[in-house]
Parts: sequence; C-alpha cells; structure tokens
Amino acid sequence: MDCREFCDQHLAFVDDTLAGIELVRMQRHIAECESCAKHDAKIRRALLLFRNLPSIEPSADFSRRLDVRLRECQKEQLASTQRSMKFGVIAATLASAVMLGYIGTTLYNQSGPPRDIVMAPVVATLPEPELTSITNSAPAIVASVSAGLTIWPAALFAEQVPVSFAHSQLELANFTR
Amino acid sequence: MADIVRKHVVTVEGQTVRERLQAMDDSAVVTAFLGGEERAFSELVTRYQTRLLNFVYRTIGDREKAEDLVQEVFIRVYRHLHRFDRSKKFSTWVYTIASNLAKNELRNRSRNPLVLFQTVQKNFQDEDRPLQFEDTTSRPDDMYRKRHLREIVEESVAKLPEHHRNVFVLRELEGKSYEEIAEITECNLGTVKSRLNRARNSFAEIIAPYVD
Repeated sequence: MDCREFCDQHLAFVDDTLAGIELVRMQRHIAECESCAKHDAKIRRALLLFRNLPSIEPSADFSRRLDVRLRECQKEQLASTQRSMKFGVIAATLASAVMLGYIGTTLYNQSGPPRDIVMAPVVATLPEPELTSITNSAPAIVASVSAGLTIWPAALFAEQVPVSFAHSQLELANFTR
Repeated sequence: MADIVRKHVVTVEGQTVRERLQAMDDSAVVTAFLGGEERAFSELVTRYQTRLLNFVYRTIGDREKAEDLVQEVFIRVYRHLHRFDRSKKFSTWVYTIASNLAKNELRNRSRNPLVLFQTVQKNFQDEDRPLQFEDTTSRPDDMYRKRHLREIVEESVAKLPEHHRNVFVLRELEGKSYEEIAEITECNLGTVKSRLNRARNSFAEIIAPYVD
C-alpha cells in the first residue's frame, strides 16, 4: 500500500468500515510510514476534540415559547379549516340551489300539454351534378387514352356498323322491289 | 371522593400514555400523533430538541438563532406531519428541515453583513455569561483552559465551508450514516464521502496549531 491509497481509504479507516484485509494493510502501512501515522493521529485527535464538545441544552423558556407558537399554529389551522368548511358550505348551497332550480324548471315544462316540436328551418343547396367518371366512358376510348392511339374513331365506326348494315339492307330491299 | 378518584385515574392514565409513548419508536409516535394523541408531539419535541439545537448551533454558530430555528423546525413538523412519508425515517426528515433552515440562515447572513455583525456582537456578550456546561468542581485554570479549548474548536468548525461543515456535524456530532447524510443534504454518496474527508482534513489542519 502506498500513501495515496492510504489517504483514499482513510475515511473508511477512521470510521472502522474497512474489510478485514484492507484494515490490516492500513495498519501495516501506519507501522511503516511515519508521515501517514502522523496524519492519522492528527485527524483522530481533532475529531476527538470535536466529539467531546459539551452539548448545549435548550434555554429555560424554550418549551414555553414553543407551546405558544404551537397554539397559534393550531388556531391558524382551525381557522383555515373553518374557512374552507364555510366555503364548502356556501358552494354546496349554491350548487343545490342551481340543481333545485333546474329540476323545478324541468318538472314545470313536463307538466304542461305536449307541444309540437318546432324545428329550425334547414337551408340546403342543390348539389352540383357529379361529373361522369372516366370509367363510365366507352372502354375503347379509355384504352385509346392510355395507348395514345386513335382508336375511338374505329370504335365509333364499330358502333355505327349495325346501323349501316340495316341501312344497306333497306336499300337492297328497295332495289328488289 | 369520586372526583378525587377520577383525578387520580386521569393522572395515572396520563402517565401511562407518556410512558407508553416513551417506549415507542419514532414511527409509532408519529402514528399516535396523527391518530389524535396530542401528547405524542411533546414526546417528539423531547426526543429531538437538544439534538437539533446542537446540530443547528454547530452549523450556524449562533445560539439564540439556533433556538429560533429549532422552534421553526418543530412548527413545520407540526404543520406538515400529515404529509410525511412514513416509509422513511422520521429523524432524517427532521434533520433535513433543520439543515435547510440552517443553510438559509447562512445564506441570508452572507447577503446581509449587518446580521453577521450582530452575531459577532452577541458572541462578545456571550463571553460575559457564566459558564453553564463546565464542570464546576474543576479549578479555575482548568476551567479557563477547557473554555478556551472549546472556543478554539468551535471557531475551527466555523471556519469550514458551509457544505463541508454540514456534513461534518451530521457525521461527527450526530453520528449519522453516510446514506442518511446523503438524504438529508440531498447529495449523492460519493459527494458526502468526499466532503467529509475534506472537512476532516481541513478541521485537523485548522486546529492543529492550537493543540500541538
């Protein structure tokens, strides 16, 4: 053990809280190191002086003064409790008055003949017609949009085919007549 | 006759309650007080008044002010005992209040030099007072030597920095454990040990020239 370690452990050494091995090492160091032995003696002697200081006692009127202050304190606490109780009573009275008023009004309203329920007029605007969704269009047109091709004339043409066909049949019939 | 008997019973009953309170630990006394037994508070005062007075006096160095502060401690305990966490030690709580009041007093003094001057004046007046705590059977020169030594020790303690002195007094005078001191001073354990070690070394250094 060196002197630095001795100083680090000195607090526990004086307070007698060191483990057995450490205690023996400290004692051995003191036996070997005169400087640390002096330091240890100086600390212990100083502490002994301090611990042996005579105890002082409270003065004769300490208890009387404390009693007076405690009684004042009791009074304050009592007054404070009464104040809060008063406030509580007032608050409870007000709350019950409001409650009774509300109940009375409700009962009075319920005791009369039933009236028609009049509701406030409702102002409503006609919603705008919804725009046709693109998905409702002809599938061919939709396909042409994404493909970038001009399929739609063909689709329109295809739609016209049955009409043209009927028309040509009509013409043929005219000819045969 | 019946009155006399009743009085006697009341007295005996009162004594029994006191004796019972004396036998209780702090926690039980606190419980008794909170349960409506007013005499329990007197028991707490009896247990702690001298200890707290010594602690505060050694910390601030002014006897009259120390008494005032100890009274304030008991007033605060009386007011707030219902809020005290009973899972903790009562003594630690009381010492925490006392320590905080002592710290505030020292802080106020450092802000107001006039108070410090008044304290010095009081100490001078104390010199003229008869000794109350000395062994009167001693010879005058012994008494003088003891008194002189006591003053030196007290002055040496007063020279310690406030936070060192607080820890030092709690440990060396009150015999508190490191853990309790940590709780009272609201420091961690390492800080307490470090402060105590420094306080011991400083105190020994200050007092050494007078006792060698």
